[in-house]
Amino acid sequence: MQGFFTSETFARAVEFFSFQYSFTVYALLASILVGAVCAVVGAFLVLRGMSLLGDAVGHATLPGVCAAFVIVGAKEMGALMIGALVSAFIAALLVGAISDKPRTRPDAAIGIILSVFFGIGILMLSYIQNSPTAAQAGLDSFLFGNAAAVSREQLYLLAGVSVVLISGVAIFFRYLAVATFDPVFARSIGIPTRVVHYGLLGALSLAVVVSVQAVGVVLVAAMLIIPPSSALFLTKRLPGVLLIGALLGVLSGALGAFASYLWEGVATGPAMVLCAGFFFGVALLFGPRGMFKDRGGRRVRLAD
Amino acid sequence: MYDLLIEPWSWGAWMWRAMLASVLAAIPLAVLGVFLYLRRMSLIADALSHVALLGIVVAFLVTGSMEGPVMLAGAAAVGLVAAISIEALARRPNVRSDAAIGIVFTVLFAAGIILISTSVHDAHIDTQCVLFGNPLAISNRALWMLGGVAPAVVLGVIIFYRWLSVSSFDPILAASIGIPVTLVHYGLMTAVSLTTVASFESVGSILAIALMIVPAATAHLLANRLSTMLMVAVAHAVLSAVLGVYVSIWINASTAGAIVVVGGALYALAFLFAPHGVLGRMIRRRAHRAQTRPESSTPPQQIG
Repeated sequence: MQGFFTSETFARAVEFFSFQYSFTVYALLASILVGAVCAVVGAFLVLRGMSLLGDAVGHATLPGVCAAFVIVGAKEMGALMIGALVSAFIAALLVGAISDKPRTRPDAAIGIILSVFFGIGILMLSYIQNSPTAAQAGLDSFLFGNAAAVSREQLYLLAGVSVVLISGVAIFFRYLAVATFDPVFARSIGIPTRVVHYGLLGALSLAVVVSVQAVGVVLVAAMLIIPPSSALFLTKRLPGVLLIGALLGVLSGALGAFASYLWEGVATGPAMVLCAGFFFGVALLFGPRGMFKDRGGRRVRLAD
Repeated sequence: MYDLLIEPWSWGAWMWRAMLASVLAAIPLAVLGVFLYLRRMSLIADALSHVALLGIVVAFLVTGSMEGPVMLAGAAAVGLVAAISIEALARRPNVRSDAAIGIVFTVLFAAGIILISTSVHDAHIDTQCVLFGNPLAISNRALWMLGGVAPAVVLGVIIFYRWLSVSSFDPILAASIGIPVTLVHYGLMTAVSLTTVASFESVGSILAIALMIVPAATAHLLANRLSTMLMVAVAHAVLSAVLGVYVSIWINASTAGAIVVVGGALYALAFLFAPHGVLGRMIRRRAHRAQTRPESSTPPQQIG
């Protein structure tokens, strides 16, 4: 990247918005959907203090992808997705199983599952890459994501999963809200908190699995954590957190896809995360519950 | 047996270098990991090892050099910035500490990835190598860095053993008897950053976290005293490193991945078979039940 913004960059911007290539449209739509679905599921993770579980689940998709590839022997997207889903869900369950036991720590449990599953994934990935079957090309795009590689079928899958998850959150909104903010009360009025918990783990695994093709396993956690966390600086109410978080996720996704098209070598995942981080910074500084308001409030109180 | 265990040593110096690099990386990582674990900061290890990547890149962009000390200084500086901003964020009422970790490290990591892929083409920073490491092809520079950092960290821990142990178990007591708790904290953070960078070429940034968390978690299942815990952790790490190098040669796959998988398998063994592990408790519970059953079948005796 010689000049940050050259005439070539401008030409690429025009090219992007003319939508003459279907893959740019797919990339844009995929990134938008990823931003929305991750933010909606992530909001509940953040509020339940389970943010980094998303990181572990994201990393844990890699061994599933590789195992599916070894079993099927080709880059069959459906199989890879199912493999990723299975290993992601197992990882989420294992974190819970380890955290329960004495002489373990919940944070260490996340770290153990994250690193060991990722280690297994790296081991299998390198094994596949060293093996003579060369059909594995592009398997490592799962690491940092490549929205431009999203196919029409994957886009449909992503759209379907997003619709299911978001409407699921809308339908079970009361359950989720009560079980998140006051689990004891939720149990007393007969909400099956266990079912809600495992449902959330399932939703998390699904959201992560459909997102990794676009953002990559390493950074999918950011799209789960950062948009809802930014929304928490803007509003106190849960519906607001969900809506604003989704909006910020969509904006970051779209801008990230655009930026990664403009500048060669910029992977989609990191670009989306930097956009999300930018919005977080703005919300942290200028949000109604952010730092400047904070100071202002204190000053008013002092003046009283 | 001879073919598997002894012969690789005769294939050239790289085997010696790989073993040396892996073991030299594993020991300080395990030692620091124990203190992080006790302080419930295991996931800070995750954050700092990701962030160190940005440190290297920034150091290169500022100085134009890729010398060991420059890389270490850059990583230490960016690691401190990350640790301080995580704490500052977590202090805000609407950000949980795990979300703070997730936000800061993903954004800084994304920035590092983008800088590597756009502005520092000529620095010979190989993303794959920095992320996943490759002790079989370790450079002299990396070996020297490990050779300097590993003894320094171990020596530092021995010298400041009292301060570290007291402030890890009881920070309030530590502060009250005049231990500079904040200084110890940031010293530990700096040591983690330095060790991560030094071990980049052997285990890589993402898998360095495994060597910080998994040995400590295994040791906690097996040991009751801090000194034993440290020794068990180091033994676990060295065993994983040595076996991991062998496994990766046998199956021709990523060494870092193999080291982590071996470490994870050892953890699983301890989790199941340790005196306090899952099976141990199951057996003890059964024995306890068998012991108490005859008593409970007799009618309760009246008192008085």
